[in-house]
Amino acid sequence: MGQLDAVLGNAATRRTFLKGTGVLAASGILAACRKNVDASGAAAAPTGSIGPIEDEPGVLHAHEWAGYDAKWLYQDYLDAGYPQPKFSFLVNTEGALAKTQAGFDWDVTHPESGYIQDYLNMGAIQPWDTSLMPNYKSLNPVIEASGQIDGKQYEIGLDWGYSAPLIRADHLDPTLDSYSYLFSDDAAGHISWFDTPWILQMAAIAQGMEPGHSFDMTDSELEDMKNYTIENGRKNLYNIWVNYQDMWDDVQTGNVWATYAWPDAYVALKDKVDVAYIRPSGGTLAWVEGLVLRSDTQNYHHAHAFADAWSSAMVGTRLIKSWGYGHANLDVDLNDIDPDVVKVFGLDDPQKSLSEPQSYLDRYQANRNAYNRAWNEVKASL
Amino acid sequence: MTIHAPAEIVTQPPRRRRRRGTAKVNLGLISVPLLWLIVFFLIPVILVGLYSVGVLTLISYDKYLSLDLWRYFLHSDTYLGGPLGRGLFWKSMKMSFGVSITCVLLAYPVAYMLALVAGRRKYTLLLVIITPFLTSYLLRVLAWRVLLNPQGVIQVELRRLGLMQAGDTISWLYNSTFAVYLVLAYSWVPFVALPIFVALESLDLQMLEASSDLGASRLTTFRKVTLPMSMPGVVAAFVFVFIPTIGEYVTPQIVGGKAGYLFGNVIQSSFSASFDWQLGSAMSVFMLVAVAILLAIFARYLNMRSVTQ
Repeated sequence: MGQLDAVLGNAATRRTFLKGTGVLAASGILAACRKNVDASGAAAAPTGSIGPIEDEPGVLHAHEWAGYDAKWLYQDYLDAGYPQPKFSFLVNTEGALAKTQAGFDWDVTHPESGYIQDYLNMGAIQPWDTSLMPNYKSLNPVIEASGQIDGKQYEIGLDWGYSAPLIRADHLDPTLDSYSYLFSDDAAGHISWFDTPWILQMAAIAQGMEPGHSFDMTDSELEDMKNYTIENGRKNLYNIWVNYQDMWDDVQTGNVWATYAWPDAYVALKDKVDVAYIRPSGGTLAWVEGLVLRSDTQNYHHAHAFADAWSSAMVGTRLIKSWGYGHANLDVDLNDIDPDVVKVFGLDDPQKSLSEPQSYLDRYQANRNAYNRAWNEVKASL
Repeated sequence: MTIHAPAEIVTQPPRRRRRRGTAKVNLGLISVPLLWLIVFFLIPVILVGLYSVGVLTLISYDKYLSLDLWRYFLHSDTYLGGPLGRGLFWKSMKMSFGVSITCVLLAYPVAYMLALVAGRRKYTLLLVIITPFLTSYLLRVLAWRVLLNPQGVIQVELRRLGLMQAGDTISWLYNSTFAVYLVLAYSWVPFVALPIFVALESLDLQMLEASSDLGASRLTTFRKVTLPMSMPGVVAAFVFVFIPTIGEYVTPQIVGGKAGYLFGNVIQSSFSASFDWQLGSAMSVFMLVAVAILLAIFARYLNMRSVTQ
């Protein structure tokens, strides 16, 4: 989700496009000349002994999404007297992985949970010591489970959201509770997809596939979904959006009646037009992002303090209120949040809302290339 | 003979020194651009080539040397092995070719006017023409969205004037191949005008006078003298547009909608969201080679050497 802010955010569109190009070029060259991060792919352990915090350099390097350098996201860290962290910005997780592999240094970064395994394969991350984080006990265990590999907490899951249809309720029947809005003839010419292979999974779920299995479809299932998506896309699709604010505009102006969206779109549009955010009753796909810790960080304790500040209930409340993202902290003050938002996103019981069979969290996909290539074919066929 | 021999001996060393000195100067002059080309063109192209055969990979532990990916790319239905992949490639080629031709056709009269008609004001006018294009490329492309989209200026005005029904939209105007074609042509016209302008401005005007004195009409003079002599500029302008637009992915993404997906978009997608650098590299190398071959054929067909001479 954060990649959206970075790559596609309205105010930063131009800058981030250029940045993206630069990142690709630089990482290409760097990747070829990279230092050997870890050729084994084995889980990394801290490369140095962990000393006292006094011995650490102190200025934490956070490789973050644009906008995630806002001070309120780590205010407790600053209030505790730690120095202002240094930020560099990532455009998307794939680019961040490439830069990391090329030897780019950071202490913490903020990937989607589906990419933790990639970082681990590179030997770039180490598990967190959650005992150093007082706020950890307040975090949603369902979300934290998505950051664990072999029982170790490699990612502190923080922000989350659904990937689901947002519809114009004045044009479409909002009681359908299904991903089929994104393929329906009822919205012909007014459907918008995001540029992601998750559309194939949504097609599969709309066709009755168990959502968990949609992350690991067989080749023939993927082929079927590809054909289904192409057929319906040709008939009914308006566009594939890449900039979320363009999508918001299209929904607001009525060009789009049904779109792939994150919860922030609902928060942004619900008071402007008659929209409904659909959480398909068969199961909703959801994403989680959080902080991972560099395997050779020299700021081990600072990094933990930083992640703990991010984990606070205050940050959670403000993240939900301001941006419409979910937050892992279970102690967020729901009285301070729009009751409609609480209801639509199931914030009154986030553990249940994010657990299967209600929600299916993003996960590592070993056959990611097959999904991506099928998705490319869909886009080329429309 | 005995008189000339010492003279040769005396004159030869300075000549060699001059050559040696000239060679050093030439080497000095060429070294920076050569180094630039090697570092920022040749080496990256080699790296991309190595990625495409797996000698380099993003994740170091899955290194391999294999042409499997090339086989997949060339034989898979998704890519060049099927009508879909080939169709996308040719769609990009046609789009780029069409945009380049359009740009040249639009830019030539502008360059002609500036170089041969505008007189002393030509540089001022040139600046006026170019000024809007000093703004960001992306900003200009995004501005077209405001004009072309169904709720944009053009369609809203057409509805207001009663030329369109309230709920109607012009589907080909936005999120369409036409929109990509239009915006690309708009974006590149001024850059095409420049090389043509330079070629026309360097024309020997006495040639035109001679043609006129010999009884040729203005049209004949243009056809037989002006156009052939400005061909180097025209060819340069064409290539100047053709090469960058063939890999274009930003404009199709912004105004092309589902119809604007081009070969460049597949490459871009492979390097970013798909995280499939091997395939992206294979496609990039393929496109590079295809463009090089096309340009070679094009140059031979146009007999560039005779044109430039």
